[in-house]
Amino acid sequence: MSATAIASAPPTLRSIALAGNPNSGKTTLFNALTGLRQKVANYPGVTVEKKVGRCQLADGSLCTITDLPGTYSLIPQSPDETVAMEVLRGLRDDTPSPSAIIAVVDASNLARSLYLVSQLLELGVPLVIALNMTDIADRRGVGVDAARLSQELGVAVVPLVGNRRRGIPELLRALADASPPQPRSWSAAEALVRAGDQLVPGIIAAGMAPPALAAQLARRLLIGDAVAQGAALHQRELSTACAAARAELQQAGCDPLVEDIEARYRWIDQVVAASVRSSAAGAPTALTERVDAILVHRVWGLLIFTVIMASLFISIFIIAKPIMDALGDGISWLGDRCTSGMPEGALASLINDGVFKGVGGVVVFVPQIALLFLFLAALEDSGYLARAAFLMDRLLAKVGLHGKSFIPLLSSFACAIPGVMAARTIDRPRERLATILVAPFMSCSARLPVYTLLIGAFFSGYGPYRDGIIKGLIMLGCYVLGIVAAAVTSLGCRWLLGRKEVSPFILEMPSYKLPQVSEILRQMWSNTRQFLTKAGTTIFCLSVLLWALAYFPRLPVEREAAVRALAGPVHAAVPSPPVSAPPAAVAAGQVSSAVPDAPAASAASAASGDPAATAATAEADNAVAAEQLAYSWAGRLGHAIEPAIAPLGFDWKMGVGLVAAFAAREVFVSTMGIVYSVGEGGEDKQQIQDAMLKDRTPDGRPVWSPLVAASLLVWFVLAMQCISTFAVVRRETGGWRWPVFQLAYMNALAYLGSLVTYQVGIRLLG
Amino acid sequence: MNAPLPPSLIPPATLADIAAGERVTVVAVVGPDQIRRRLMEMGLCRGVEIDVLRRAPLGDPIELRVRGYLLSLRGVQAALVMVQRAVRGPSQPASV
Repeated sequence: MSATAIASAPPTLRSIALAGNPNSGKTTLFNALTGLRQKVANYPGVTVEKKVGRCQLADGSLCTITDLPGTYSLIPQSPDETVAMEVLRGLRDDTPSPSAIIAVVDASNLARSLYLVSQLLELGVPLVIALNMTDIADRRGVGVDAARLSQELGVAVVPLVGNRRRGIPELLRALADASPPQPRSWSAAEALVRAGDQLVPGIIAAGMAPPALAAQLARRLLIGDAVAQGAALHQRELSTACAAARAELQQAGCDPLVEDIEARYRWIDQVVAASVRSSAAGAPTALTERVDAILVHRVWGLLIFTVIMASLFISIFIIAKPIMDALGDGISWLGDRCTSGMPEGALASLINDGVFKGVGGVVVFVPQIALLFLFLAALEDSGYLARAAFLMDRLLAKVGLHGKSFIPLLSSFACAIPGVMAARTIDRPRERLATILVAPFMSCSARLPVYTLLIGAFFSGYGPYRDGIIKGLIMLGCYVLGIVAAAVTSLGCRWLLGRKEVSPFILEMPSYKLPQVSEILRQMWSNTRQFLTKAGTTIFCLSVLLWALAYFPRLPVEREAAVRALAGPVHAAVPSPPVSAPPAAVAAGQVSSAVPDAPAASAASAASGDPAATAATAEADNAVAAEQLAYSWAGRLGHAIEPAIAPLGFDWKMGVGLVAAFAAREVFVSTMGIVYSVGEGGEDKQQIQDAMLKDRTPDGRPVWSPLVAASLLVWFVLAMQCISTFAVVRRETGGWRWPVFQLAYMNALAYLGSLVTYQVGIRLLG
Repeated sequence: MNAPLPPSLIPPATLADIAAGERVTVVAVVGPDQIRRRLMEMGLCRGVEIDVLRRAPLGDPIELRVRGYLLSLRGVQAALVMVQRAVRGPSQPASV
């Protein structure tokens, strides 16, 4: 770090907080003020985004700007609002208490926006109003007289056009000159004012507030502001006086909570009446209402919703696919290039299958995440996201979720990673958590190869027409089972947390706006970058760990040679050794003599280009790969869990597949390919299926049956088998607690589901 | 309703009972402090006029206009808002 960077360290900087309602255009202003000089992190202990940037004031001094989460009130109702309140009141250790506040006010929705302003005016901190969206307000026939508004509020009001940079220099100038607003008292009922006055001496005596701010602290104590009450907790005299005052007010029929809010709104009504000239005949929301008449119409609304959601789904399910494939191919090509000069061995494999596959396993999610956040940003910016929630809320409320859970859950049918990330749009913490917990139950695209492999192998041969129908129904059953499991889980969450915890659905329906391309791209990039840096690291480390599990320990050379000799009688017969031993004769004693021959022979036959010999070499390689996998930690783990999974109808080979599938579920298919020595190529699905059908237990019974396949399908529907989801849930819930719970819960449920399927099935089928 | 009733004779209802297109006045907001406070902070105070615009296609939530902006509430929350139907009956949605 250079000397200048140290010299401009935070303590010497003025810190400015950017506060405002949701949908007030706060973030656009933040971007306009800070440009690219911004940093996104998390507030410690909560999953609330912390956005800090830098900007130069009119007097040339640098300041930090914190973009606070949107809030309606300083008496918070969600983690987001709590953080905003704590920063504004200077209660957080991780953020300096603001030396000035910019309140972003939506000019087209002035009355409601001024409620928060009425609270900000009481903080005793210099305040500047950024009157945003004046152009939209003008077009809606709401002319706000900024000078008059400034006079009414007693602070500077700077009109802005949010999407263009008009007004920014004036805002910076006003910030440099801002001073703390005059304390004021809202003309509340006399009883409330009197009760407050009685508390003031006690507050000043206890040193809880300077005399100028004592009256409003008294008011906050009376209306039940938890933060004020918490501060007064240790002032015993004050607390008793406050309780007595509240009881007295109650008896007098005055509810401080109601009285305070109504007093503020009475003041707001005066301010609005003085500073707004309404020129239009209709309501300012007339245009939005006309659009709503179509977009939330019972027929057209649902139809348009279906089209929008279908295109969202298609883009992350189908359009992202070739990009993901190309990225994957590109990365493995790079890996091959890097290791092409290296001798085969652990290092080459680490680089190729560990590091590059690990990077690929992270990067592969980028197209889906980027596309989903492109859609989400556009839907949110335009105002449609609230309508989508409005349309779907009834359906989701029945299982304890939120209207805004719809898009995260829909996305999870493509992949749970973007789905879990999309749950950020849900501002109610309980519903957000429930959505994250149930999202992986949606059958994602990684499960599809497993479904088609198993259904194709074990549920066919019913005749040309019935075949398709039966396969289709089983596939549908898998999807439905996942949805049912999600619904039951979500209801269980609600039951566990108690009914009174159900958070209210009070959702603003913002006016429709044309989304701005630059904002959308910025949001898309910001979310993708966060995934790469935060969740990506965990995913990468876990993939390298999984690679090591499947790679070590290495098969001893003698064992490899023995397997090769067993598997490749053809190539062993053709080139070098004149007399080939029958496979059965390659017993322990002969192994050591075969060692130097086998690799040389396979190399020779591969070089000769003889098709038969090449095939034989490939077969031997496959056999070695199968043996190697069985020998590795993953294979041993598969063996070790066999007693546990036997009641589900699984053998150790499937156990290995289940272990390997933690990298990604579709890896189960290629692992089966390795286990059955048919190679791991995806095009060999038919071969894998044949091998599965032919596999026999030592006593000659088939290992696989439709019942085993059904049990395995149930497992794959219900189990959480994806380190990437695990990593993203950790990142999105801010700790290990929920991902670990989810892993344990889903896999326990999967075990139970498979157990019931297999045991009931075996008793029914005899 | 030909002859308008005096306000004192119109029985109070909750916002959840109001049909789309009707205009009502808030009489009181009841329920747990946390929810009551937020409803009022969003502008649903005593004496405020509300236009109920529509119900969602599945019957819930409802969309309404209050203090010049649009808000949606689930029926459960709307039932906490006690209202009185406007004496002059249903209003035209877009006129103030």
